[in-house]
Amino acid sequence: MIHVQDRSLVVPGELLAEGDYRTGGGVYRDGKSVYSAVVGLASVGEREIRVVPLEGPYIPARGDSVIGIVVDIHYSGWTLDINSPYTGNLFISDFLHRKVDLTRDGPERYLRLGDVVLASVKDVDEKMRVLLETEGPRSGRITGGRMVEIAPVKIPRVLGKKGSMLDTLKRISGCRLIVGQNGRIVIHGEDQRAVDAVINAILKIEREAHTTGLTDRVRFLLEKEIGGR
Amino acid sequence: MEEQKKLIVDGRRLDGRAPDELRPIRIEAGVLKRADGSAYIEMGSNKVLAAVYGPREMHPRHEQEPDTAVLRCRYNMAPFSVDERKRPGPDRRSVEISKVTREALEPVLFLEMYPRSVIDVFIEVLEADAGTRTAGINAASVALANAGIPMRDLVSAVAVGKVDDVIVLDLTKEEDQNGQTDMPVAIIPKKKLITLLQMDGSFTEDEFKQALDLAFKGCERIYELQRAALREKYALKEG
Repeated sequence: MIHVQDRSLVVPGELLAEGDYRTGGGVYRDGKSVYSAVVGLASVGEREIRVVPLEGPYIPARGDSVIGIVVDIHYSGWTLDINSPYTGNLFISDFLHRKVDLTRDGPERYLRLGDVVLASVKDVDEKMRVLLETEGPRSGRITGGRMVEIAPVKIPRVLGKKGSMLDTLKRISGCRLIVGQNGRIVIHGEDQRAVDAVINAILKIEREAHTTGLTDRVRFLLEKEIGGR
Repeated sequence: MEEQKKLIVDGRRLDGRAPDELRPIRIEAGVLKRADGSAYIEMGSNKVLAAVYGPREMHPRHEQEPDTAVLRCRYNMAPFSVDERKRPGPDRRSVEISKVTREALEPVLFLEMYPRSVIDVFIEVLEADAGTRTAGINAASVALANAGIPMRDLVSAVAVGKVDDVIVLDLTKEEDQNGQTDMPVAIIPKKKLITLLQMDGSFTEDEFKQALDLAFKGCERIYELQRAALREKYALKEG
């Protein structure tokens, strides 16, 4: 028995369903009943019920790609701020992808405080200690570009269905975008107006994440701001 | 001592309310830009602001819990919130209220989802007219939901008491000071569990049961207003 409609707004404690349903994030189970645990939009799938949150911090999960900022350098690696309650730890061997003799070589040669790094989450343990690595085509130190920070829960909207929103942003502006699941986005572009337009578009997406037909409005905004040069 | 005036005349209270009537309540969610979650509540002339920060990294480190988040609450009254200027800073009363507020909110939170972190709740009383701890709990639970912190349910709170031998809901300052009993109650409405119950004064067993019943009824109504405030905040996000 399902008590809510798909995509309807729910608040904590709201009864979503009763029965043997598979549950995803944002809900909790009490006996046979499934309740919402957060403010969000109910998502009632085939046999899975979950709530897509409208607020909340970034909680690291294995496989996520995140944009971190070096906040500390230690003997064998770096501590990265990943816009989360938890910091990420990047070991020098996970950065260089080889064995490192720490008596001859140290992390300060490669990354300094304040450097921005695209990394992926290698592991998160039960104490929420986060291990990072630089794997994937564009990971590693990010140079140049401009970074914006938005609410991490809005990142899926910036990507769009199968990356459609991201494609729109890239195609119209001609900029390159690096999107971290932790709410940080770095934009590289030759034309500063195009970069500005992309940033405005991203902030618009964050503000209007809940509305439909957003991709079209973002396209319109971008074309207006870039086209008028 | 016998010059005390009547607090209930013809079944109506000094402000014209029936014994089982709440003061007008207004709740607004997400009022502070820089907080992760916030709420503002007016219950009668009480004006209370609640702000939630976190989950965030716990400092000092030795207060971290390896397997769960820690909830920290601070109830504070502004110096101008009462008739006679209150000396700023924590005093015995506000330290106690901070503690009972934390214990009233803790049972609904899934703190174990965020090990080693802290969730900070700040409750600032801007204007006080009896029942500020219950107003603070109501605001704080909306603020926690606004911060996106997973919780089993909201927490709703209201005070009940005895005034001129009548059991009344949601006491004003006058009723609190000149009445016989004041009993703040906080509940988890869905499960009908009590998370805070304090009492100043005395009830007979029957009066206590009657008062508790009344408190539950009051909380149910406040619960609806809290939910409405959250829905209002995100109303645009529907559809």
